Amino acid sequence: MSESDFFDLSIIIAFWLMIAASLLTFARLVLGPTLPDRVLSLDMLMTLAIGFIAIFTLLTGVYAYLDMAIALGLVGFLATIAFARFILNQASCPEIIDETKDYKQTAKDAGSSE
Amino acid sequence: MSNLFLINVLLAFAWCAVTGSFSILNLMFGFVVSSGALWLTREQHQTNKYFKRVWLVLGLIGLFLKELVLSVFRVAWLVVRPRQSYRPSFVSFPLTVDRPHEITLLANLITLTPGTLSVDISDDAATLYIHCIDVEDPDKLREDIAQGFERKIMEALR
Amino acid sequence: MINYITGALLIIGALFNLIAAIGLLRFPDVFTRMHAASKAGTLGSGLMLVAIALHAGELSISSKALAAVVFFLITAPVSAHLLARAAYVAGVEPWKGTVLDQLKGHYTDKEGHLSADDETSD
Repeated sequence: MSESDFFDLSIIIAFWLMIAASLLTFARLVLGPTLPDRVLSLDMLMTLAIGFIAIFTLLTGVYAYLDMAIALGLVGFLATIAFARFILNQASCPEIIDETKDYKQTAKDAGSSE
Repeated sequence: MSNLFLINVLLAFAWCAVTGSFSILNLMFGFVVSSGALWLTREQHQTNKYFKRVWLVLGLIGLFLKELVLSVFRVAWLVVRPRQSYRPSFVSFPLTVDRPHEITLLANLITLTPGTLSVDISDDAATLYIHCIDVEDPDKLREDIAQGFERKIMEALR
Repeated sequence: MINYITGALLIIGALFNLIAAIGLLRFPDVFTRMHAASKAGTLGSGLMLVAIALHAGELSISSKALAAVVFFLITAPVSAHLLARAAYVAGVEPWKGTVLDQLKGHYTDKEGHLSADDETSD
């Protein structure tokens, strides 16, 4: 196998691995169960997006995409910090933080009101 | 120490001005040349710390990269092994370093090293709380951090 | 030669990202998941950027890629720390298998003020 063949193949393999990783991360985003879990998987999706941009840069040879990766890293970092502040501010409302708690709470409330 | 660094940067700019090219590569080369010039005149400076510190900082970076790679392999093993059993715990770590930038550096290094994640610091900045994914002996962990990163940071930054 | 190295770095980086994603799905609570995402994920995408830096062969592009790597290495622990702290203060319960919790009871209020630790010896 020649050098450029190996390179093209490795780009394809990396793409498939990254697609699998994004699907698994997306599963965690859907499953939850708490808000920090979801924020964490959003953060992970941002990291994966940077990886995708890196692969795409090598695939096309257009190095201007690299700026996008840096900008995405900055914005994603700020977004995670903002979410962390939000979680901290919502500490008094457990139903926003944890969905499973919410279901139990409402079930109990419904049970007690009957 | 910071004076020497300033002189080093100024000499690098002087090198660029003399050679008539302000490219990044030339600036870096000028920095290397001027630090060589400063090293030659090291007897005349009050302190020899500047050059020692360069090695200590490089050693800290090397240690950090090594620990990061080790940590990823350890987490990878925890992820892929078939039997899932961990002993996660929150461990308190009494800090010896007390300056803000040293604490920040230590906390960040702890987060990116094997199985540990710094969670919070007490209000008086004396205790760091660490989450460990799989810990057998908290005392040994404290000892490792104190003897490893904390000592290296103190050596490199003081 | 350089193509082999960049190709290998790409695959290794993607593998680390995959491991981080599996860890995100398999670990029992948000704190342990954070270990997987903040370490393996950062190094995975970092290695891919290093692959760009090696492949470009041009100083302006390589330095940009390496600056991005350093940037991720600095920001990833900060966001992980903030998220872990927010999760703990907000009352997300650690996994029931957590053997030792020396942080428990040290928060004096819901704002996240943390009192000093008096008994570190035990």
